Amino acid sequence: MENREKIIEIANKYRWEIGENIHDAILESIYSSASNITSKVVNKIGEKSKFNWDKWIDKIVTGKLTGFPIMFVMLAIVFWITISGANYPSKFLSWILIDNIHPYLKSLALSLSFPNWIVGLSIDGAYLATAWVVSVMLPPMAIFFPLFTLLEDFGYLPRVAFNMDFLYKKVGAHGKQALTMTMGFGCNAAGVVATRIIDSPRERLLAIITNNFSLCNGRWPTQILIATIFIGGAVPNYLAGIASSAAVVFIALLGVTFSLIVSYFLSNTVLKGEASSFALELPPYRPPRILQTIYTSLIDRTLIVLWRAIVFAAPAGIVIWLVSNITINNISLAEYFINWTNPFGFFIGLNGVILLAYIIAIPANEIVIPTVLMLTVLTNKLSGYGSGAGVMFELDSIQQTEYLLRAGGWTLLTGVNLMLFSLLHNPCSTTIYSIYKETRSLKWTMISTLLPILMGFTICFLVATFWRAL
Amino acid sequence: MIYIFLLIIILMAIVLLQQSSFIKNRNKNYQKRLVEDSLKHIYDCEHKKIDSTSLSLSGSLSLSKEKTTKLIQSMLQKHLIKTSGNKLSLTDEGKNYALQVIRIHRLWEKFLAENTSVQEYDWHKIAEIEEHKTSIENANKIAAQLGNPFVDPHGDPIPNEKGELIFQETVSLNEVKENNFVKVEHIEDEPKEIYQRIFGYGIFVGSILLVKKKSDEKIFLELNGKEISLSIVEADNINVSYVTDFISEDVIPLTSLNIDESGIISFISNGIRGQQRRRLLDFGILPNTEITARMKSINNDPTAYEVRGTLIALRKNQSDLIFIKKKEV
Repeated sequence: MENREKIIEIANKYRWEIGENIHDAILESIYSSASNITSKVVNKIGEKSKFNWDKWIDKIVTGKLTGFPIMFVMLAIVFWITISGANYPSKFLSWILIDNIHPYLKSLALSLSFPNWIVGLSIDGAYLATAWVVSVMLPPMAIFFPLFTLLEDFGYLPRVAFNMDFLYKKVGAHGKQALTMTMGFGCNAAGVVATRIIDSPRERLLAIITNNFSLCNGRWPTQILIATIFIGGAVPNYLAGIASSAAVVFIALLGVTFSLIVSYFLSNTVLKGEASSFALELPPYRPPRILQTIYTSLIDRTLIVLWRAIVFAAPAGIVIWLVSNITINNISLAEYFINWTNPFGFFIGLNGVILLAYIIAIPANEIVIPTVLMLTVLTNKLSGYGSGAGVMFELDSIQQTEYLLRAGGWTLLTGVNLMLFSLLHNPCSTTIYSIYKETRSLKWTMISTLLPILMGFTICFLVATFWRAL
Repeated sequence: MIYIFLLIIILMAIVLLQQSSFIKNRNKNYQKRLVEDSLKHIYDCEHKKIDSTSLSLSGSLSLSKEKTTKLIQSMLQKHLIKTSGNKLSLTDEGKNYALQVIRIHRLWEKFLAENTSVQEYDWHKIAEIEEHKTSIENANKIAAQLGNPFVDPHGDPIPNEKGELIFQETVSLNEVKENNFVKVEHIEDEPKEIYQRIFGYGIFVGSILLVKKKSDEKIFLELNGKEISLSIVEADNINVSYVTDFISEDVIPLTSLNIDESGIISFISNGIRGQQRRRLLDFGILPNTEITARMKSINNDPTAYEVRGTLIALRKNQSDLIFIKKKEV
């Protein structure tokens, strides 16, 4: 015991003498002996010319005149490949899973004389929602993530963060947030997971919370569809194409603006004291390892996200089927809810159908429109569309969709507000789950979930009020 | 009807009861804070060798005379202080208590400096609140996490668990003769305005200063190769120790390197601390390392530097605090 005291005393004396900067000193000596050893045993041949090649690329991709155009062109190419490339596999999967397997399963189950509700619950509910999520989610992710990872592997993405940092510094965030945000355009859940590249805790939280403001893959089709019907329909024919695509781009840019504003707001209020550090590695360029990249990005990103989506999709499918099929006095639960929320929906320029669709289609933004269509048919007692209560569907032509929505009471205001609400609402359950996994904090998960939806309600309300006043 | 009436009365009773216990609790905490703050005040006076009286106490706590008298009475009862004439002094028990509070305060300041990005001028304010709330066990946990530090970020010694603390011999910056190198050991954190101005100059605990010239109102210093002048009031809040083995070098901040110019890192200012500092060290940004500016982003910030064959981008607020010797080509 006496010895122990003595040792501690001596240790304390030394610590006092050595002072505070002991860590610096130790690291310095480790580094210097390491570099001594390497200078003895490592021969550097041809190192010089390789570095010059790097410098040449750097000069172009971070140049003041060339940096941004290259960045936009690269991103545009990635998105174009994703959207046009995903179309065919998506159609194919949907043809197999929804057009063929679904009716087959259903007739099989009926021929085995299962009770109706079991068939509905499992095949129209759980199976259909899962199949839908897989067929619309898988192809774009399977194309976008490998492309993105290839750019990362090549060494280009850190340069984008370097170029964009000036903007993010102003709002108290990290330049790498530009990358996680872009990743969010593919999928918010993947964007949230990708924030691991940000090593500073405060900036990482900012990136996680604001990722939902990137319009994800599941929301682009909604935006395009609604813009084509309502914005395109509101202007003369020859302007329709331009006006509707401008509207979609505007919404996407609005999302980027919101992510910056919210970052600024958070970094100056709730996140003010969180630890922060900035340093950005710019690794040397190297030829991307294509096969390995495709493999790892499929395993690490695509399949993980897809699995999480499926886990939530099946139960949500059951809920969707149940609310449309359980009836009290011949009126379904869905209709009760829709009638009950319609006044509030009207108040913010939407309607009860949209509100219910966003609640029960929480596993993926991809199934919002099919759910909206199904609920519209259900509440307005339209016949000749879809295949019954609780069975999601999509229509082949835009004209039919437009007819259906207008029959459901939609106006230009509903369209505009749906586009805004699609940008500003709670993240899908997959993303919420990923946020919880990454932050391990209920508080930040709640904030990331509630903040966008509150903003959505506020903005939709303001738009609706001004619209009606004009 | 009567039933509802009864229910309302019961509800009101519950609310009232809760409120009164809440007020009681708050009152108890308020009393604890007053006692702890007075012990700190008396300790501070004893340390500075000035007399503390009930008058100085009421001034420091901004408390009315009657309340101060009552407070002193209660502390006397608890054997925390003793009086001789007008003068107040701490009993052994009181001194231990005071040191415990000071320990928690300084640990908190150290914690805020190392583990958060709370601004320098907010440390004191937060520590003032937390010192009354943190239990001794939690303070020990914080201390262990920080590696049982000896000094807080202002250079004040942190008492150990037993309340022992080591004082360092320092002099006020105003007492230093011209042409002497000194190391900043302590910066007084009150009043906040002066403290804010001092670190605005880039002076941190651990900075090396050369006293160049002194006048009646000002003191002229060289800091990191740059000349600055401090008012006497500002200099009075800085305590220093003499350094004899310091070799003056012409250092410039890393920021002033142009593209493709190189330098050898001389030191990293103590203004970079905690996680930021560890991050830089991890990258091998250390004294005696060669560093070359390679490219600048838009607005010239951040700048990418080549260190040990790797490119690392740093923001200006960091590279301002890294000092180098320029390498002649």
